[in-house]
Amino acid sequence: MKKIRLLLVDDETDFLNAYARRFARRNVETTLAASGQEAIDQVRENTFDVVVLDVMMPEMNGLETLRRLKAIEPDLPIIILTGHADSRVLIEGMDMGAFDFLLKPVGTDELYFKVLDAIRARHRGQP
Amino acid sequence: MKTALKTLFHFIHGNPEGKREAVDKFLNKSEDFRLLLSANGKALELMAEMTDAARSGQPSGITRVRAYSVMVASSVRQMIERLCRMAPGKYDGLREAFNEIVRNMDQAFSGPAKGPLGPPVLRMRDVRAIDLPETGSKVAMLGEIRAELGAIVPRGFAITASAFRLFMQTTGLDDEINRLIQIHDGTTLEELSDLAASIRQAIDLAPMPRELEEAVREQCARLGDIRFAVRSSALGEDSEQTGFAGQFVSKLGVKPPQVTDAYRAVIASMYSATAITYVRNRGLREDEMVMAVGCMEMVDAVAGGVIYTRPPVGGGLDKVIINAVPGLPCAVVDGSSLADSWTVDRETGKIVTRDIAEKEIRFVLTSGGQVRKEKLYGGRELAPAISDHDAERLAALALRIEAHFGHPQDIEWARDREGLLVILQCRPLTICEEPAELPATDEESRSLAILSGCIPASPGAAAGYVVKVETDEDMFRFPDGAVLLARNARPQLSALLPRAAALVAEFGSSVGHLANVAREYGIPALIGAPGAVERLSGVGVITVNGNNGTIYLGRRKRMIEREARPTARMRTTDVGLALERVLTFITPLHLTDPESPDFRPDGCRSMHDITRFCHEKAVSEMFTQDERPVAGARRLTGQQAMQYWLVDIGGGTSGTDQAGGESRRNITIGDVRSSPMRALWYGMMAVPWEGPPAPTMDGFMSVMTSAAQNPALAAGVRNDMGERNYFIVGGHYCNLQSRFGFHFCTIEGFAGDDPNVNYALFQFKGGGASMDRRQMRSRLVAEVLEKRGFIVEIRDDALFARLEGVSRQAVEQAMAMLGYLLMHTRQIDMSMAAPAMVVHYRDKFEADIEELLEGLPGELREAGCTA
Repeated sequence: MKKIRLLLVDDETDFLNAYARRFARRNVETTLAASGQEAIDQVRENTFDVVVLDVMMPEMNGLETLRRLKAIEPDLPIIILTGHADSRVLIEGMDMGAFDFLLKPVGTDELYFKVLDAIRARHRGQP
Repeated sequence: MKTALKTLFHFIHGNPEGKREAVDKFLNKSEDFRLLLSANGKALELMAEMTDAARSGQPSGITRVRAYSVMVASSVRQMIERLCRMAPGKYDGLREAFNEIVRNMDQAFSGPAKGPLGPPVLRMRDVRAIDLPETGSKVAMLGEIRAELGAIVPRGFAITASAFRLFMQTTGLDDEINRLIQIHDGTTLEELSDLAASIRQAIDLAPMPRELEEAVREQCARLGDIRFAVRSSALGEDSEQTGFAGQFVSKLGVKPPQVTDAYRAVIASMYSATAITYVRNRGLREDEMVMAVGCMEMVDAVAGGVIYTRPPVGGGLDKVIINAVPGLPCAVVDGSSLADSWTVDRETGKIVTRDIAEKEIRFVLTSGGQVRKEKLYGGRELAPAISDHDAERLAALALRIEAHFGHPQDIEWARDREGLLVILQCRPLTICEEPAELPATDEESRSLAILSGCIPASPGAAAGYVVKVETDEDMFRFPDGAVLLARNARPQLSALLPRAAALVAEFGSSVGHLANVAREYGIPALIGAPGAVERLSGVGVITVNGNNGTIYLGRRKRMIEREARPTARMRTTDVGLALERVLTFITPLHLTDPESPDFRPDGCRSMHDITRFCHEKAVSEMFTQDERPVAGARRLTGQQAMQYWLVDIGGGTSGTDQAGGESRRNITIGDVRSSPMRALWYGMMAVPWEGPPAPTMDGFMSVMTSAAQNPALAAGVRNDMGERNYFIVGGHYCNLQSRFGFHFCTIEGFAGDDPNVNYALFQFKGGGASMDRRQMRSRLVAEVLEKRGFIVEIRDDALFARLEGVSRQAVEQAMAMLGYLLMHTRQIDMSMAAPAMVVHYRDKFEADIEELLEGLPGELREAGCTA
């Protein structure tokens, strides 16, 4: 059965692994990237249905990563998932074309539904 | 899903291009509409929770308030994005209105402006009371009484508030700590302990700024090879309103090279489970806590203790109270030992009473600077810790300090080997009002007294199940509303006080930290209750009377009512005020009239206004008649015409455009070839609606025809607003959108040969009954759907259910089931008052569904839908 290809970008590896494990049971193939640069490399080389992106990461922050990912693949839906309740990041991220902005902690169901929403919206021709 | 749509449009053979575009546009719009409704539900839910929090005065951290505000903003922004996509270019002004409201919300959170950084350390001899914003109260008060009163205080220095800000900002710890608080969303003691451990680790790993490290090294070198007491002196600590008594750690016996490590530990204690509990319950902002630290020479004390310049309960009495223990004074403040006690007349300065306790232990400073506990024996346990003369000297000094600050004081002191009386700290004393004259206890209560003569530490009376707490595990398990029973009055127990009905501790004193915190919270407390642990363990419910020092068996209702005291309200706290301020930009609804000229993007002044505007406009965009792909719509007819229209996007029906006359405008279900539509229709029709209300006609089709025509019977297909209900169908596809008033239902399914692209969706919201009944209905429907493999999400009374990646047959079964549920669950909210009704409906639904699914393959075969 064809799986949803999800790229999960976060510098906290415990967080990445926990979600990857939970999503594995839901027909989601999760690729992990621990930095913005890794995410960019992954998107250049592989095809993803959706990206879930942290904001506070060393070297390249999430907003910069978002900008670069959108330059590579404008239609790729990107969901911001951050532990920082920062309205500036919300506004900037959405202005840059993020599909949605979520705050940690987020339940597996909620994130999964958001991933499905993003994929559906994408295939209806919207970012 | 991409393949799903490709496959979908694969079936649009021979379809005119214009019609295909219209269908495409409609499907895009309906998807955006769904997402907008979902975001609307979430925004309103979050707003309701914030309003409840403000109204109830329940404690909540500033991090949580901020997170909720941003989540509301995120949901509202999502609504704007969806509306802007439904009607490109029409509502772009909403983004500017949104940004303006967000700026106002941010403003509501901002604390006082912070000036430039000052020096990272200050020498004790240079500190005065006016340095409080840099050194915290504890160090500032010591500097003040040294300089102004000539009091002896330890040598040392302060690591300032500026040093703290430097440490937090240069390392990014401030952001990181806020993030950790945000992502550890829990409120239980266990969750808060996990959070504290994460923050402690972050603080330990952060590099100490070089400027600060060098300044500390310089101060240590100046003082020589001494041992330090490194004590918290947080801003706001020791204030009259919030004492933070015992919430933060002090590190004793610290060698000079270890001072920065001790500094980290003291900072980390600001985020301990105990401290965070205190901060939240007092409505303080954890993002504005600043820890200054006092590094003071350890006093090699032969005795020490605490002075209250007035009795903490009933401060009107004209006495100074002095508690003393042999050795270091920590045994008094942490409640680990009984203490000797003197009362001294404030006027004459003479001793009034003397009470020498049997002291089991003392703490001493070893030659290596360590603090060691020693057992007292050989008569020393009964020897007074200090002489009467020292008690009178202490009282005199304490009264001078009180006079200087103009407020009763709580003073920690030590007597060194040379007989010098050293002041270790002083702070304003929290005084509880004089308890009302003790009412005569009724006969029955007297007979139920199980322990009396305990020392009242905090007044009032309360009852609860008595629960003994000895270990951390006991603390985690402590139930809300119980009476906390402990052997020692340890300050760590203060984390439980907000949840406790009352406190009883066998050892400790009414001048210890725990007693202070109990008084701040207004929780009745008895500290110094000999035999309490043995006598009270396992006796069940008790009433603790903090006025007369007596404990009664059972709940003494009249006593509790008589001695109830008002508690502080959250709205007057820092967090409460921030919440109130930010809510003024979130919840007020100004846009109430869609016909008003102000009903436009720049008329939105709150998040609620934007949700209202988006919802209204989205409904209008979605259901504007001429924007629907209705050009080729045909009306479904049975024996009578129904309020269902059907748009075939290709391969969904056997009828062709070549047919003329009536047949071009009408179609029967027999002409439908779309298997998910057939299955859905079958589900809608298979079981007659039994009410309430009762069916008006007999027979299968007649009931359904009525349902389709009569709004009272079938709210989901009601057309009293001139709305039609459209099926959009393809060979393997079906979408049904119903609108009735402001209530919506969507069912969508794709049932092809590739399970990867198959799905069924169900969204349902609204109804006429009260919210709790509608919620009960949603939960019941969710239960039925989950049993059949759906993933279901409920927000308020809205239900979103999905089934994906399954076989064609499974989608058809799902559509039939959804059809059944659509027709049979709309009005059951009216009768869902009792749990028995829930059980009744669940059993009925499951039996009906079981039965109807058995008939499904035949129905589809008949229609030529199966392979």
